[in-house]
Amino acid sequence: MFQHNPPLSRRDFARLSAAGVLSSVTVPWFETLAQAAAIRRPRGKSCILLWMDGGPSQQHTFDPKPNGEFRAAPSSVPGIRIVEQLPQLSQCMNDMAILRSMQTQINDHYDAKYFLHTGFRRVTGFEHPAIGCIASHQLGPVNDDMPGFVTIDAGYDIRNDGGRLYRSVPAYLGPQHSPLAVNDPGRGLENLRQPDSDLDARLTMLAGSERRFAQDYPSPAVSARQAAFNRAVRLMQSRRSRAFNLDDESASMREAYGSHRFGQSCLLARRLIESGVSFVEVFHRGWDDHNGAARNMILRAPWLDRAMATLIRDLKQRGMLDDTLIVWMGEFGRTPGDGNGHFSNAWSTMWAGGGINTGQVIGRTSDTGRNPGGTVTQRPISPPDYIATLCLALGIDIHQNFQAPGQRPMPVADHAAQPIRELLR
Amino acid sequence: MTRKWKAWSIRGIAVPILLLGSAVFAQAQESLLERDVLPILTKQCLGCHGGLRQKGGLDMRTVPAMLKGGKSGPAVKSHDANASELWKRIQADEMPPGEKKLSPAEKAHIKQWITRGLPTVAKSQKDDDPILKAGQKHTPKEVAAAIDQHLNKALASARLKAAPRSEDGEFLRRVYLDLTGRVPTAEQAVAFLDSKDQDRRAKLIDTLLATPRFGEHLGRTWRDWICPPELPSDGNGGAQPHKQAQNLGKWLGERFAAGDSWAKITRDIITVDGQINNKPQVIFFGLVGQGGRLTADGAARAVGSLFLGVQLQCAQCHDDPYRDWSQKEHWALAAFFRKITGDFNKVSEGKAGGAAKNITQITIPNSAFKNVGTTVNAAFLKGKVLSVKKDEALRPHLADWLTAKDNPYFARAFANRMWFYFFARGIVNPVDDFRALNPPTHPGLMKLLANEFGAADFDVKHLIRCICNSDAYQRTSRVQGKFNEHDLAALTMAFGRMPLRVMTADVLFDSLKLAYGDPGLDLRAIESKGSSTAGMSAPVADAYLEFLRRFGTNKEDATDFTHGIPQMLTMINHPRLLAGSRALDSHRKRKPAPTSAQTVEWLYLSTLSRRPTSEEHAEAARYLAQTKESYIGVLWMLVNRSEYLLVR
Repeated sequence: MFQHNPPLSRRDFARLSAAGVLSSVTVPWFETLAQAAAIRRPRGKSCILLWMDGGPSQQHTFDPKPNGEFRAAPSSVPGIRIVEQLPQLSQCMNDMAILRSMQTQINDHYDAKYFLHTGFRRVTGFEHPAIGCIASHQLGPVNDDMPGFVTIDAGYDIRNDGGRLYRSVPAYLGPQHSPLAVNDPGRGLENLRQPDSDLDARLTMLAGSERRFAQDYPSPAVSARQAAFNRAVRLMQSRRSRAFNLDDESASMREAYGSHRFGQSCLLARRLIESGVSFVEVFHRGWDDHNGAARNMILRAPWLDRAMATLIRDLKQRGMLDDTLIVWMGEFGRTPGDGNGHFSNAWSTMWAGGGINTGQVIGRTSDTGRNPGGTVTQRPISPPDYIATLCLALGIDIHQNFQAPGQRPMPVADHAAQPIRELLR
Repeated sequence: MTRKWKAWSIRGIAVPILLLGSAVFAQAQESLLERDVLPILTKQCLGCHGGLRQKGGLDMRTVPAMLKGGKSGPAVKSHDANASELWKRIQADEMPPGEKKLSPAEKAHIKQWITRGLPTVAKSQKDDDPILKAGQKHTPKEVAAAIDQHLNKALASARLKAAPRSEDGEFLRRVYLDLTGRVPTAEQAVAFLDSKDQDRRAKLIDTLLATPRFGEHLGRTWRDWICPPELPSDGNGGAQPHKQAQNLGKWLGERFAAGDSWAKITRDIITVDGQINNKPQVIFFGLVGQGGRLTADGAARAVGSLFLGVQLQCAQCHDDPYRDWSQKEHWALAAFFRKITGDFNKVSEGKAGGAAKNITQITIPNSAFKNVGTTVNAAFLKGKVLSVKKDEALRPHLADWLTAKDNPYFARAFANRMWFYFFARGIVNPVDDFRALNPPTHPGLMKLLANEFGAADFDVKHLIRCICNSDAYQRTSRVQGKFNEHDLAALTMAFGRMPLRVMTADVLFDSLKLAYGDPGLDLRAIESKGSSTAGMSAPVADAYLEFLRRFGTNKEDATDFTHGIPQMLTMINHPRLLAGSRALDSHRKRKPAPTSAQTVEWLYLSTLSRRPTSEEHAEAARYLAQTKESYIGVLWMLVNRSEYLLVR
């Protein structure tokens, strides 16, 4: 057991007391609005993780094989071929890097999700922070209106299998780095607004009693509560919170991302990154194709291709691509050939943007033999390697230690990690 | 100012409080092992000279080990810094080996500590007289008086002035929340507030301890202490045993309500054998195991933390780097569980398998990274090795040892945890880290509570009755007049004032259900129709689990407010909280019809457990006039108050 020390609430305490935010009987929340609206994302890296829950097939996406079910087609980078079902993405290859040699050992859904989100194997009674929470902790501006980490649920299409969804936990980084969850991109953030209400009158009624309570019961808990409450109200009234609202986008832009919920989630992710969020995880479920990947992939490919390619182009056009890393992956790949089974021995992920060395393929899987694609023949990538590289790409120091329960120093990434240097500039 | 809160809590206050009532308190300048030296050693030295690694053959976790020293001789020589290897190496900046060396202040602490003869807090706490006679049960009044005597003595020696007694309304709400896990109803509040009985507080404590809600709430509290932060599951589908965990809470609750002793409950858990449908406690082992199965090391860790008050988790894989626990001690306890098998639905006494031949032996598995393959015999913690007849069950022996009156760990671990429950801080902190170098703040009080709990045959209600009847529990958390933040924090840590605590998710949910007259209250996201584009939306857990997940609090520190934007947005904007309250409706339908002021008063009573002040009446009246009597808006305002979410 140990004590969490959320620095944010303590900071809020000081700030609020100093600014006298709570000492006014008028509604004080509006004062910060003008200021808040002006803040844009400070220069620094951010990340959009596109998580295909259940395990997408590498041979039906980024690592096609000569006799595979899907044909390989050339891309905009000579020599790199991906499946012909992803034509738009293949034209973005200059901005993409494919990692074909993921070797991650775990074939169970949930343990694999944990491993790939944290870089550590799962054990009972000890929680490791998820990569999104680490990014929020390391990259997020302090005491910002916008949260550091948002998850977007892009739902599922055919079947919702692939085991329980992994929920990111901040563990010893403190609860302020928990993700803010958007359950439906079309609806934005749950409980963000209240239509036609007398909220102002109620806030006015509340203000006096809050001020008196803080005087009679001065303590960090009261200050932290009032700070959290004020942040929520500020967010409700902040122009930046409109980032959660897709209705502000033009019809043509929404159309470009595709009407599928995944496409709309990618659009929302772009809006959130633009408004200052450091890490967005979009998850789409039901990729556990035990009855063969081909049929399902034919259905998925159009919306997947369109959404991801649009995301890359859109970010590029806005000058944000160099600072925004896109990562596409699941918890493992699928067995070579038909993709029926779970496969952790040799599978692919795709990275784009983020100022990394794109236009290349990292690692290689076997092309020949009885089971083409069954083994990694070049540069195996373990989950610790993977997380370490991701951290470095985002500008996070992987040699620092966090303090875990029981005075246990925990590194950001496992000491054994070997980052993929070829990918980093 | 912010940094100060944090700094005070760690160095400035926490440790000086250890010295309350001891002779050393006056010598605040003296360097002491636990306060001044140990933090430096932990940060700078123990990584290489502790349980994990012992470079140069040196272990610096305890004073005897430092005196023994390593290959270069003793690390410390009492009163003689220049003959102490520790001082020589750090003075010359030879150690620590990295770029960062000790600061002059850190060096000064270590030097002074050596030259003054290696003083420790524990040694200076000679005054650990429990006041009441051991081995004998006392009345709650006597024990409560002794508790206060301990605390007051310590407060006086620190020249701190205890906070006054709470007002009735404050006490009422606190004791209802603590003992029944819910605010009182308006009617219950009125009955107490209007009572003229001199003994009304003691009587209320008795009444609440006799309700089923008392058991139910303590049961779910213990359930949360048992459950890891994220419930375990198998590695694939990942279904978590939420239902089973809830049933464990209910089972514990029934036991607590029935007045079963902690010894009996402990035995029933540790020795359980059978199926979950008639023995809900079998999930205990699943919850603390790994991947949905019972594991010997998980069971040992949980028994250590929950029943013994010691942290053995580091010692699973290697000797604890910082604490004096060896890997062998961990596995000796794990050996009691070696034979049994179990999952989320059953536990059974299995057959002895594996590498070890003897049924009392366990082999350290590959998952540890030291001493893999070593055989360890079952043994009681810092006690004798177990010997049994062939094929005998081992767990009953463990239960016998644990629940024996002379077990040094069992009673104090529970008493300290209950103290932590009421005061948000244990007498030993963290509550499961009892050891020589982590002494109690009030050694006499710790002894008193453990003695009394043992003498009362581990009667849970008796212990709670004693604590709740003390002045300490009944002090106000309100701060009067001008205050100095340092003294205030010191006073809270010395139990001279009640801290404000954050309502746990269970308590908040039950209190909201009461306020809205809705046992099925549901604050999940409202599904809208036709808004999504394509694809289906996520299934969400049931209303209760979702609420628990969203409004979970810091289990280690109840004073730590950790809610953020999602929680606040739910409270501010969830449509259900403005959609009406059945409780309010039925109040409004009363005959004769209540006046507006009466309704406001009733709303205050059913949420804040007190009547509104005239100022509050005026504020509500102003709002009601503006909004054509929107009483639900007043209710919204009340549940959105800091005063509502915090336990005064």
